[in-house]
Amino acid sequence: MFHPLQIITRSPKAPFFIAQGDIYLRKKLFEEQNIFDTCGCAENQRDNNVWRFFEVHGLSLALGGTQILDNISFTFNKGDFLSIIGPNGAGKSSLLKCLGRLYKEYTGSVMLDGMQLAAMPPRTIAQRIAWVHQTSSDNLPFTVREFASMSRYPWQKSFSGESRKDREIIEQSLKTAGVADLADRQLDSLSGGERQRALIAAALAQSTDILYLDEPTSFLDYRHQAETLDLIEKINKEQGITVVMVTHDINLALHGADNIIALKHGRVMWQGKSTDIIKDSLLSEIFETEFCSFKSVGQDIPYVTPRGLVR
Amino acid sequence: MKKFMLPLLFVFSLAVIFFAPFIGAQKIPFSALFTGASEGPARILWELRIPRVLLGWITGSTLAICGLIFQALFRNPLASPDMLGVSSGAAFGAVIYIRLGAAFTFFNVVSGLSCAAFLGSLAATIAIYAAGNLKKNGLSEATLLLAGIAMSYLFGSLNMIIQYSGGYTDTFRMMRWSLGGIEAVGFSQVWMTLPALAVIFIIAFCMAPELNLFVCGEDVAASRGVSVEWLRKVLFLSVSAVVAVNVAECGPIGFVGLLGPHICRKLVGTEHRRLAVASLFFGGAFLVICDTAARILWSPEEVPVGILTSCIGSIFFLWLLLRGKHKI
Repeated sequence: MFHPLQIITRSPKAPFFIAQGDIYLRKKLFEEQNIFDTCGCAENQRDNNVWRFFEVHGLSLALGGTQILDNISFTFNKGDFLSIIGPNGAGKSSLLKCLGRLYKEYTGSVMLDGMQLAAMPPRTIAQRIAWVHQTSSDNLPFTVREFASMSRYPWQKSFSGESRKDREIIEQSLKTAGVADLADRQLDSLSGGERQRALIAAALAQSTDILYLDEPTSFLDYRHQAETLDLIEKINKEQGITVVMVTHDINLALHGADNIIALKHGRVMWQGKSTDIIKDSLLSEIFETEFCSFKSVGQDIPYVTPRGLVR
Repeated sequence: MKKFMLPLLFVFSLAVIFFAPFIGAQKIPFSALFTGASEGPARILWELRIPRVLLGWITGSTLAICGLIFQALFRNPLASPDMLGVSSGAAFGAVIYIRLGAAFTFFNVVSGLSCAAFLGSLAATIAIYAAGNLKKNGLSEATLLLAGIAMSYLFGSLNMIIQYSGGYTDTFRMMRWSLGGIEAVGFSQVWMTLPALAVIFIIAFCMAPELNLFVCGEDVAASRGVSVEWLRKVLFLSVSAVVAVNVAECGPIGFVGLLGPHICRKLVGTEHRRLAVASLFFGGAFLVICDTAARILWSPEEVPVGILTSCIGSIFFLWLLLRGKHKI
């Protein structure tokens, strides 16, 4: 008898039968691996469901002979705000691309609602997961509304145009992201902050329950960083959309996300509740930089600032 | 302004198709349309001028739409069907046919030269596609583009070898073929190329949402649910096949596939459904105008229209580039 996890890690295509509900195997897997509480997941869900909302098991990725990700496992729940942090080159964006099946070469399993992502057609994935890519310098020759309306693609039948419902959803997302008055402006003519909100509006127009953001604030000034984070939090709290955000900005992760996964050299260094990462004083190890943290009056969550290299 | 552009282009295109047959070395009165085809001017009109104008229009439209698809597919404003090996592959087939002195017709409809050209461009397409597929991490747009350019040079050099080894008459024929020209006698070539145009227009029109997403980048397209790799294969192969059909009849005609989509983008914007329609009307009208100019400028001598499109096209294109404020 082979070990169930072996099937999962060896071949990306084999574990369909597990996903389809071999409950005995899965329960055994749960007990043996004990990897499901590291993210502070709600206890009751474990009793009711055999699988979590989103599960990653033994995910590895090698591109062109280089190991980018190495045996990564974690889960998150519906409505979570998860942040993936780490230094440049840690594999954060690659991990996110595997989670959205933009990279297909990974081994291991990525499951959404108990279904292998690999078994889902691209359209179905796009109905669940929306993206805000790291497209700071890319040429997007469309207006804000045009770009948002392109997000309706996974919901439209081939050859059919925009329905009234599509238009309503687009208008609503533009309003939510506060770009309704910029709707007819060209994306390339917007400032960084406006552009980021427009891209988030487009992701909202995709009507998904999960939103992936890749470095959403890296090119923004302080005000627009705060503004963007506010918008993401609003989307997470008010609309209940699950958010996974890749960032190298610790403060952004600390103040926005509920849970953090810290990557370094393609491995998970730490995962848990975002406020705990300060207590565990792992930051300097992850980023190879000395940090000091301070609290402003009346706030529980500290701010972190770099002090210099680790010597 | 952009709202009225499509109807305007439609009217423009129709007008060009209507008036172009009456312009030329031989004056033809409008009344010739209604007399029987047996008389002199009416015969020229029905057997030479009208088929030629229609063939020109179809070729121009086809090339413009193919260019539009390729530019979206490769996210590269310089991508065009005549650059990516398909044309030089066709030329290779034609050159071999002429060199071997072969002569046959296919079911008495398609000339042997066209057949050879079609086979040549198909060979080039398959070679590019296979070269792109050999790479381990999938068929990327950059690989396809560069494989196309490499293949285009390879076939170009093979053509030169064969041309160099050929006799005077052969070499002259080869050279004339590779200049590209629209020469139609009767409607058979029109019926040959029209289905190809229909196919590629329907593809461009129906896949406009996918093309829009392609322009925004592979990641954006994939995250909106487009099967990027599958679609890239389908579009690359269908565009290549359609261009092959066309090049087989008219020879390589440069610059229409590059210039047409760019001008249409200035006229109607960047949405691909509108662009497909605009390219259909504009590309056709542009090539018919060029071809008419090629007929009358040095009359009674004719210039192959391929020379003229490249000449007018490149100068016009440069002018557009320098004066436009939009990024391309």
